[in-house]
Amino acid sequence: MKKRMLYIVLFLILIMIIGYFCNEGAVDTDFAHKNIGPSFYYPFGTDWMGRNLFFRTLRGLSISLFIGIIASSISAFIALFIGMTAVFGGKKADAIVTWMIDFMMGLPHLLLLIVLSMAVGRELKGVILSIALTHWTSFARLIRSELFQLKEKNYIKIAEKLGKGKVYIFQKHMLVHLLPQFIVGWVLLFPHAILHESSMTFLGFGLSSEQPAIGILLSESMQYLVTGRWWPAVFPGLFLVIIVLLLYCLGKDLQKYISQK
Amino acid sequence: MKKRILCIFFMLLLCTGCGVSNEEMNTESQKSAVVVTMPITSEPEAGFNPIFGWGAGEHTHEPLIQSTLLTTTNDLEIGYDLATNYTVSEDGMTWSVTIREDAFFTDGERVTAEDVAFTYNTCKENSSVNDFTMLDYAQAENDTTVTFHMTRPFSVWPYTMALVGIVPEHAYTSAYGEMPIGSGRYMLKQWDKGQQVILEANPNYYGAKPKMEQVTILFMEEETSLAAAQAEQADVSYTSATYADVELSQYHLLSVPSLDNRGINLPAQLPETKENSIVYGNAVTGDIAIRRAINIGIDREAIIKNVLNGYGSPAYSICDNMPWYQNASQVEYDLEQAKTILEQAGWIEAEDGIRYKDGIKASFSILYPPSDTIRQGIAEAFAKEMEKLAIEAVPECVSWDIAYDMAQSQPMLWGWGAHTPMELYNIYHSQYDTQKARYSPYYNKTVDTYMEEALKSTDINQSYELWKKAQWDGTTGITQQGDIPWIWICNVDHLYFVKEGLSIPQQKIHPHGHGWSILNNVDLWEWSDT
Repeated sequence: MKKRMLYIVLFLILIMIIGYFCNEGAVDTDFAHKNIGPSFYYPFGTDWMGRNLFFRTLRGLSISLFIGIIASSISAFIALFIGMTAVFGGKKADAIVTWMIDFMMGLPHLLLLIVLSMAVGRELKGVILSIALTHWTSFARLIRSELFQLKEKNYIKIAEKLGKGKVYIFQKHMLVHLLPQFIVGWVLLFPHAILHESSMTFLGFGLSSEQPAIGILLSESMQYLVTGRWWPAVFPGLFLVIIVLLLYCLGKDLQKYISQK
Repeated sequence: MKKRILCIFFMLLLCTGCGVSNEEMNTESQKSAVVVTMPITSEPEAGFNPIFGWGAGEHTHEPLIQSTLLTTTNDLEIGYDLATNYTVSEDGMTWSVTIREDAFFTDGERVTAEDVAFTYNTCKENSSVNDFTMLDYAQAENDTTVTFHMTRPFSVWPYTMALVGIVPEHAYTSAYGEMPIGSGRYMLKQWDKGQQVILEANPNYYGAKPKMEQVTILFMEEETSLAAAQAEQADVSYTSATYADVELSQYHLLSVPSLDNRGINLPAQLPETKENSIVYGNAVTGDIAIRRAINIGIDREAIIKNVLNGYGSPAYSICDNMPWYQNASQVEYDLEQAKTILEQAGWIEAEDGIRYKDGIKASFSILYPPSDTIRQGIAEAFAKEMEKLAIEAVPECVSWDIAYDMAQSQPMLWGWGAHTPMELYNIYHSQYDTQKARYSPYYNKTVDTYMEEALKSTDINQSYELWKKAQWDGTTGITQQGDIPWIWICNVDHLYFVKEGLSIPQQKIHPHGHGWSILNNVDLWEWSDT
């Protein structure tokens, strides 16, 4: 299992790095070679402007992963902060936080994403911020309950009786237990972030159309499906699914691994 | 999201609802009905009310339901519809129009000069889409004569008179747009908002009886429109170059030449920032050498072949083929000459493959609006052409809410084209307060003066000459030898899948907008018997 996790991580890092260097090939147009099906030189075919879909897919995945990392990291830290506020901030703070979490979860997710993204001005900034600001809810709830449980543990109470400060207890006794949960939760945020990035972009509220993002690739491919050109839709879609599944596997494996330990 | 749901909805609709009505129609009156598809954006938001933009505005076409005083002919000269004659006073301040006596609204009332005056006065008060500031007031002298009193001479007034549909004074209410009464060739039979419009021939029409008795217009996305043709649910299906190579056995492709041009503004001054923090001008395109080099350094034919699959024609001005087109606008593609112009002006290629002059990099954005694959394609192809000149053009998609401000400092890909010389005025004439043209900073006093004189002229043919001089008078203008503040790339042909057996007579050149224009002569369409 350890090995599998390593392979997945390596694979994802590889895609990010290769994708980063594919930028030039991903946006280069070549009208002499447009609408070519998958072939030796163009493994994924070319689109209506003769752009190489292999490079575009790789580049798109790397953009998605990049956005995923940043957005889910910010989101995880927001969740941590909010969870801690609930636990250590007293009863009132807890009530407010719980209400906030319920409120956020009650709002339709995609709509909230779109509104936030529009408000910030779309593009990379809008996508990252809107995902980061909407994905912390269930994770914050998890952290909150985890911390509450820890707080009631005997050894923590003993430490309190022994006169240790709150900060000391948190650092020495709680963090060790919280960290694995935090990491797992963070990794499991990842696939969500990526899927939401793609769907927002697909609907036209995310990255703009000169960027080779997966959402853009998919929405551009829509109009060619009618004419029987399947490759602009199939390959980017397939790889998006693969990446999301891999991330999900990674998160689940990590969870199992930690709970075994 | 909404769009896609709509799209699916329409597909379903096509499979079920419309299919039935279509069959009914086929049995009833097969030879005199036609089904046409149009983009969703073509559905008139404010209804069929000429005062709120029906037929006029950004996308002009004949209003069909209403009559217009004048009309534009196939060669875009002025012809008569409701009017029988018009005259203009020496000073250009009053226009007098006589109208025919045999025109009736579909509710049986006669069309009088009162109705005409009412229409224009209401337009002046309420029109949100057209400029009526040149009209002071309209007055009915008697039953058949109406006089327009102007605030300033306006020689292209006949083109306005060819746009505005005449509404009945006695039946004009706020709901007019949904239940229009007119004197035109057709009447509105049914309007299912968001879906379809059914027009029926007006039996009391004063002109030749329409050959096509019923016209059904379905509003749908481009993909759905193609699907409608594939399923043989539509007789005329709009499409674009993207789908032009699809083979449909029962259909042929109709390509209508248009004035629907695509051009790029090149801000013709050095950058300055105004108090509203909008930047006006661009350090690169502010240099006339750059603008001239771009104009002759782009291979228009190649762009048309690559992006439009050949369905277009090179554009050299905003008014190609119009009576007011200046022949000097045309240029030859000459890459070497373009390079020479750049070198002579001091733009020298550096190691990174891009030209520099005094530390300024020859680089700018080329903006294009979202969800328009054709404009995106042209922008990308334009950037490719610029590479050959060692100029860097970076395609960038911007939404319309910020596009107008950004275009003051960055070149943007625009679409224009209407049957009036006012297009020239809108693009090139400076505004009175800022001394800059509206869409892209440019100012040339001589050009302005010619256009003002053209508007003051009382003879329309004479005014054409002045419009031509505004473009190039031998020493200055907006052409290659002049200031060239805009370059024009192509006119996009409007494409339709037309069912075999339907004959569509020659159309007048379509203006900007791929919608109602195709129906301008729907009354002359015919099914052959075979």
